[in-house]
Formats: sequence, C-alpha cells, structure tokens
Amino acid sequence: MKRFNTAVILMAFFFLFVFFAGSAQAAVPKAKLPVLTTSAGQSNDVTTVNIVLEEAGIGYDYCDVPDVDILKAGVGLADKESGPGFHAEVYTDLAKFPKGTAYKTIIFAIGASLKGMGASGLTVDTEEARLKRTIDYCKQNKVYIIAIHVGGTALRGAPGSDNERMIDAVAPLADYLIVTKESNKDGRFTKIAKAKNTPLTEVDYALDLVEIMKKVFE
Amino acid sequence: MMRRTWVIKAILVVSFLALTILGGLGLYEQRRFDIPIVAGPGVTKVVKLSDYSQGLKGTIADTLVFILEGKEAGGKALIMANTHANEPEGMLAALIMIENAVVDRGTLIIIPQFNHSASRNTKPGDGYPLYFEIETEWGKKTFRMGNRDASPLDQWPDPDVYIHYPEKQLLSFIDARNTNRTWPGRPNGLLMERVTFAAMEIMRREKVDIAVDIHGAETMFPVTNCIVAPEKSLRIATMAALTVKAKEGFDSHVEPSPVGFRGLSHREIGDHAETLPFLLEAPIPFLDQPTGPKTEKFLLDGKDPFLLSLARKKKLFVPYDESGWPVEKRVGQHCSLTMEILRQHAKRVPDRAVEVRGVPRYADIVKNGVGSYFHDPAKAERSKIYLN
Repeated sequence: MKRFNTAVILMAFFFLFVFFAGSAQAAVPKAKLPVLTTSAGQSNDVTTVNIVLEEAGIGYDYCDVPDVDILKAGVGLADKESGPGFHAEVYTDLAKFPKGTAYKTIIFAIGASLKGMGASGLTVDTEEARLKRTIDYCKQNKVYIIAIHVGGTALRGAPGSDNERMIDAVAPLADYLIVTKESNKDGRFTKIAKAKNTPLTEVDYALDLVEIMKKVFE
Repeated sequence: MMRRTWVIKAILVVSFLALTILGGLGLYEQRRFDIPIVAGPGVTKVVKLSDYSQGLKGTIADTLVFILEGKEAGGKALIMANTHANEPEGMLAALIMIENAVVDRGTLIIIPQFNHSASRNTKPGDGYPLYFEIETEWGKKTFRMGNRDASPLDQWPDPDVYIHYPEKQLLSFIDARNTNRTWPGRPNGLLMERVTFAAMEIMRREKVDIAVDIHGAETMFPVTNCIVAPEKSLRIATMAALTVKAKEGFDSHVEPSPVGFRGLSHREIGDHAETLPFLLEAPIPFLDQPTGPKTEKFLLDGKDPFLLSLARKKKLFVPYDESGWPVEKRVGQHCSLTMEILRQHAKRVPDRAVEVRGVPRYADIVKNGVGSYFHDPAKAERSKIYLN
C-alpha cells in the first residue's frame, strides 16, 4: 500500500512538472500596438516577419533603417517615402492609431546581409551604431523590444562574424526573444535569455510565428 | 606525287564527311524524337501556343498547351516548364500534372516544353546526353535532353548584343535565344520573342491569375533552391516557402525579383499583365561547371565527387552530401511548391481559386519515384496521346 502511495505521489509530481514545463514554453508575453518592424543586419527575414504579421491580421509600420528621428515621429513614419537605400511602409490601422502615435513595440528581424546593408549604404559598423541608437531610444521610452531570428544556420556564424555581431547588438537588450530551433541549434539564444532573464520562445518553423504573433498582440 | 596528293585529299574529305554524318546523325535523330504525353483525366483541351500568336504558326517553336478545366468556375493558373530545356525537372513535374491532375475549380494551363526549339538542341562542347530515361512500372520512358537556348538552326544569326524589347537593356548576344530573357516579347520580333509574346497573350486574354515558371539552378549559384518573386507575388511566395518547410520538410527560400534586370519571366509577366508570376528553382548539380562527366546518371542522381569536395569547403549554396540531389527531390519540390502557391492564392482570393487534386507531393515522389506517375502510352487510348 505504502509503495502504491509513493508511486501515485511520484506520478502526480511528474504530471505537475510536465504541465508547468509545458505552460512555461507556452507562456507568451503580451505586447501592445502600434508596432514598428525593422531589420538588424538588413537580411530578407524582415519580409518574412512582415508577411507573418499580415497573415496574423496585425497592422504594422515597416522601415528598413529607422533611426531615432523616425521612432520619434511615431506611426506614419513622418510620411517619409521609399527611395534608394530607404524603405518605408505604413500598414498600421490609422483609425485606431493616428499618425504620430508613439510606437509601443518594435520588432527586429536579426540577420546580416552584406548585399542588404550595401543597398542601404551601411557597413556592419554603421549598422551596429544605428541599432545602438534605436535600442537606446526604445529603452528610454519604454518601447517593448521583440527580437526574432528565423534564418536558421544560414544566418549564424563564427563568433565575431557579421551575423553574430547583429545578434550581440539586439538579443541581449530585447524584452522577448523568438527563434527557430535551427537558429538556436548551439543554444546561443537560450544562454542570452537565461543570462538576461528574457522570455524566449523557440519554434520549430518560421510558420509557427503566425500563431505566436496572434497571441503576443491579442 | 600528284596522284598521292589527290589520294590524301580524298581520304581527308571522306573522313570529314564520315565524322559529320556519324556525329550529325545522332543530333538529327534527337531533333526529330517526339515524347509521347498521355493526357490524364483532367485534360479537357489541347491547343497550340501559336493559337495565341500567329507568328509561331508552322515554326519549330510552336508547342502544345494542355488545358485542364474544372467543373466549377474559379481562377486560372499557367504552368510553364522547359523554359530552359537543360533543366528537365520542370518538364517532368509539368508532365506529372498533365497525366494525373484533376481540376475541381478554375483552370490549369500547362506548357510542358515552353522553349520547344531548345528541347531539340544540345549544348555543344559539354558532352550532354541527348536523351535520358526514367524507370516506370511498365518500362523506361525516354525524354529528349535539351539545351538552355533555342537552336541556332531555328533563330539565326545571333546579334552582337541582344537589345531587350521594350526596355532596350543590353544583354548578352546568346540571350536572344533564351526564353527567360525575351519576356514580354513581341508579335513580329525574334522567334523567341514570339514565344514569350504568345504566353503573355494567354495570360492577358485568359485573365490568368498565377504564372509558375519552373527551372533548375546550379548548386554554386546563389539563386537556387528558391522561389523568385516580384513585390506583388512576395506574400504568396513567402507563405508557400514557410508552409512547405513546416509541413513537407524541405527548404525553399524566397528571392526578390530584381527590378533592374529585364527580360525575366518573374519581372516582365508582373509588369505587363495582371498575373502574379513565380519562378521556381531546384538545385541541379548537373549544371555546375567543376564536375565530372555530364552523364545521364549524374543528371538523374545529382551525385558528383567534385561538388562533394566543394560542399565540404562550404562553396555551395545548398546542403550537399553523398546522396547528391536526385531528380525525385527536384521534381517533388516543384510539384509541392506549385500546389502550395495555388493553395495560398486560393486562401487570399477564394473566388479566383484554382483547386487541383491528384498531383503527388514531395514525399510521394521521393518515395515512389518520378516514373510511377507516368502512364504507359502503349495502353492508353490513341486520342489521349500527344507527341511533343
């Protein structure tokens, strides 16, 4: 009988552990609109993030190289128009968030592309400096920072490489990290999340971002 | 002395003629070899490309267009393969669709040998096989192995520089015979411009929603294993790529179509019609340059020791190991991506949906082989067999 009770208690503990472990993975932090999407490193992954948001039915503004002036201008991106080396798109619901409304959230899609940076007239150094300025502004103005890495091993590299420098510039300062399992194969994002106590969601595939984004902005 | 010279001359002439005839005979036969296509249960009509552009009538560039109409009205999709006839996985995917697809809603228009002249050509100096065979349950099915460009026998002479119409961009002379540089074409232009013009006419007259141009690309070329899409097709392309990765387990990334590079299907179709264009690229190691002999086996299994060595040095743009990149994977990717593009489009524009069933997906083709989806022409009704 005693042995039976011990087994029941152990099983109960096991199920409680599985339940809470599962809910910790499922617990998705909440963020507020309006949201600005941008790139850290000018890879094409920011397009994936934008399309994921559209698929999730979330309006957003997008600028590939926003600096402090753009962030200060808020929704509508100061009516700036796209041109060579600069891209701006406004899909925020302007009836809910009129032009000039301060952004509550910013999403960085991390991934370095020399072609992308070159097209925007940036180098790895100037991109890092721009990211530092924008993140400093976000921290000072309580803009929630979400960092996403869905490029897998193709957008990872040796320590000090362009991709790792972009991760260093954004991930440790983010309020929430979302990465694919392939991107986090070496556990780099898990280490950052643990060191900074940042919530981390690891997804199997970039497609899973659609449901995550619905939950984050619900 | 005089007689000896004549004998030498005669031997040389005879040798030259013998070599020309022996060498040319194979090329002559390949140019006249037809592939039997068994129209499947979904094919409702077969027309000629020249029905959309009179300038192609009676030329070797004219080719068959298979139309599969659904019972319910919907959208229209155009599938083109063998734009480059040395990238045969596109043609194999298109033939699988012709022989097996059933359309429930909307219309599927398939041109399996878009550059018909190129499919009856070969690449001089590269030792390409003139044919390749696919194993089926009823024996081997033989296909012509073509070249990237139309035959100079059909479009000659080449210009010093090809001036693209209508943008006037200067392109390589060889691109005058490349049906992925002559878009959007013109009715009375070069023969290959007439081919692309006819396809544009299909899209404009039939109000085609989606156009998929199926290709293969080298493993050492960065634009490989991907969907190339202009801005207007980007959302569907991205969702298709993300979906096949998550649900079917293979990679295909999205490459934006460059605005400044003219003549390509993924650029000009979108700029000159309402149609959303997509260009699919699957890795075909056979096209890479630093490889062993260009054999039929290599074409089909994609295995090469030189590429393997380069892969270890991280010089390729796709993962590559001892398993190569077999034709089953390439054809499977094309079938799955094409069907996923149609599905994503249907989600966005339900009243213009093209709903297709019967087309095998990536896992099916990898498991069963490409040949299991071809029907035996010997057992098919004569009226269902088309020679192209």
